[in-house]
Amino acid sequence: MASTDVSTPTLQRHGLSDEQLRAIFRNMLLQRQLDNRGFQLNRQGKVPFALGSEGHEALQAGAAMAFNRGRDILAPYYRDLGLCLGIGLSPYEILLSIFARAADHNGGRQFPNHYSSKAAGLMSFSSILAAHLPHAVGAAYAIKYRGEKGRAVLATCGDGTTSEGEWHESMNFVSVHKLPFVMLVENNEWAISTPLDKQMAEPQIWKRAAGYGMPGRRFNGFDPIETYAAVKEAMDRARDGGGPTLVEGTCYRYLAHSTDDNDMTYRTREAVTERRKQDPVPAFEAVLLEHGIVSSADVNEMRQSVLRETNEATDTAEAQPYPEPSDLYTHVYEGAWQPWQS
Amino acid sequence: MTARKTELPPFERRGLTDEQLVAMLRTMVMQRTLENRGFQLNRQGKIPFASASEGHEGVQAGAAMAFARGKDILVPYYRDLGLELGIGLTPFEVLLSLFARAADHSAGRQFPHHYASRRLGLHTISSVIAAQLPHAVGAAYTLQYRNERDRAVLTTFGDGATSEGEWHESLNFAAVHALPIVFLCENNEWAISTPLSKQMGQPDVYKRAAGYGMPGSVVDGMDPIACYAAVGEALARARSGGGPTLVEAKCYRFLSHTTDDDDRTYRSRDEVAARRKADPVPCFERFLIEHGVLTAEAAEALKRSVLEEANDATDRAEAMAYPAAQDLYERVYAERWDPWL
Repeated sequence: MASTDVSTPTLQRHGLSDEQLRAIFRNMLLQRQLDNRGFQLNRQGKVPFALGSEGHEALQAGAAMAFNRGRDILAPYYRDLGLCLGIGLSPYEILLSIFARAADHNGGRQFPNHYSSKAAGLMSFSSILAAHLPHAVGAAYAIKYRGEKGRAVLATCGDGTTSEGEWHESMNFVSVHKLPFVMLVENNEWAISTPLDKQMAEPQIWKRAAGYGMPGRRFNGFDPIETYAAVKEAMDRARDGGGPTLVEGTCYRYLAHSTDDNDMTYRTREAVTERRKQDPVPAFEAVLLEHGIVSSADVNEMRQSVLRETNEATDTAEAQPYPEPSDLYTHVYEGAWQPWQS
Repeated sequence: MTARKTELPPFERRGLTDEQLVAMLRTMVMQRTLENRGFQLNRQGKIPFASASEGHEGVQAGAAMAFARGKDILVPYYRDLGLELGIGLTPFEVLLSLFARAADHSAGRQFPHHYASRRLGLHTISSVIAAQLPHAVGAAYTLQYRNERDRAVLTTFGDGATSEGEWHESLNFAAVHALPIVFLCENNEWAISTPLSKQMGQPDVYKRAAGYGMPGSVVDGMDPIACYAAVGEALARARSGGGPTLVEAKCYRFLSHTTDDDDRTYRSRDEVAARRKADPVPCFERFLIEHGVLTAEAAEALKRSVLEEANDATDRAEAMAYPAAQDLYERVYAERWDPWL
């Protein structure tokens, strides 16, 4: 694999206001903070599990800005913290999930980092790779079937998921039926411990689009503005009845797969350090500073506010009660069903 | 879809001898004769089921000629009678399967037309669409793992199978590991009653090859010589360590999906009649006569001999015994198991 271009993102706004650019940056800072918080809490023995999306911040913050809140539907995979924050999930909601508390949307019964929110248009997550894609396609089919204009489904996955049969069946179905659907692949070059060259013979995933008869595009996922432009173009086409698009954002996974993984068993520290030079969070900060979108003081204030918000959310969530054992079946069947009471 | 041209291109032998060209024609005529026989026997109430490959004779006779008997492995789908005949399956073996007799390779217990032959390197056939592809890839992986040079796997499927997840997973895995396998798509434009336009977003299956990082080629499936050349080139690359290829042969399904299907419910007679003009069997016969590969008299003699062989195979197979009821569990478990005892 050739490394992605290290060049600093240039400031082509693609219509984004200063306020939107700052919101993108704040989202990226918040992702980084919450990711670290998850790992810290896990190492402190306070939460059983956390996932790391470090390296995906720019891609997710940019894509989230192209999502129409209240209209579009998001079907993400499990490494999409920034997308979920970007479409309106709060740090408190994130921490309720990680702490598995009763006040969580899923009653503390879902896997950590697997959010869902009817209000935000956020579909429930699957841990099973690609299992969410037929569901996402179904949602897009429903939009078309009902004749709802101006809505689209944004579905995401990693590079590993593209080897799954469901990925193919989903891509084929959306292309046959010209569904309002965008397949966003976050190519971070690692499927847990499987490198890209053991995952696919052609490393440019977007090239598969032609085989399905849909447009395909690749972009630098370390650049949130380029990401926004690529995803927005695809979402606009989908919303206008122009059918599906495959967009591939290149990025990198800086941390281990999850708190249960040790990536030093399959890749070297040097390889990760080398890619750290492209880290999208300081890179975008430099761009915004350079173009006067933020001042150093603004950045400091933002960092403090993000930390404060994260700390508050952590404390508030931790103080919440766990779900009751008697609630075990509450979210499983409609109505109460307690199998131990016949 | 544009209709295919009805005439074959200028004569290019592609290294095929007269004898091989006539053998290909004989396979095609035998395939056509046995297909008709299957439908006849079904309508006579003598066999429960037959499937039909009319329109696939050209691609199958050509592909079979590129297969190295005794070395290569064939993992076909259920519409591959001509490939199976072409690699050495006899009409008698075909009819034993159709009649579901005990002497059949699968002891009359498999689905009709689902042959298998260790002698020929012919994998058992799956009715489940695309289920054969992971098996085929496994066989190719074994060849690579054992470092068995100069061998390859030829696996086939229809256009409908390309929408299955297993299809994708198989192509991807074969490409990652550069396995010695050829994926031959017999694109006949109909997946039972589903037309190509409802099966895929763009009609050229071979164009997907680039996305997997493997070579892809497309060939007129009504032209047996072109199919021989395309499949032969792909198999040669696979045998020499060059990895997999996706070959798409454009053909057409002239009959219903099977004896259990009535295609008049989903396509017009006009469409089928228009495509009949490109019927590969009479086209190739005419072609060989025109180019002096065989005489009109020899062609007639060939057809008579095929009919005699098909009749003889039918009579002999029909006279064989059905499997005994108590053999139901044989070949199911390693050791005999009679659950009623």
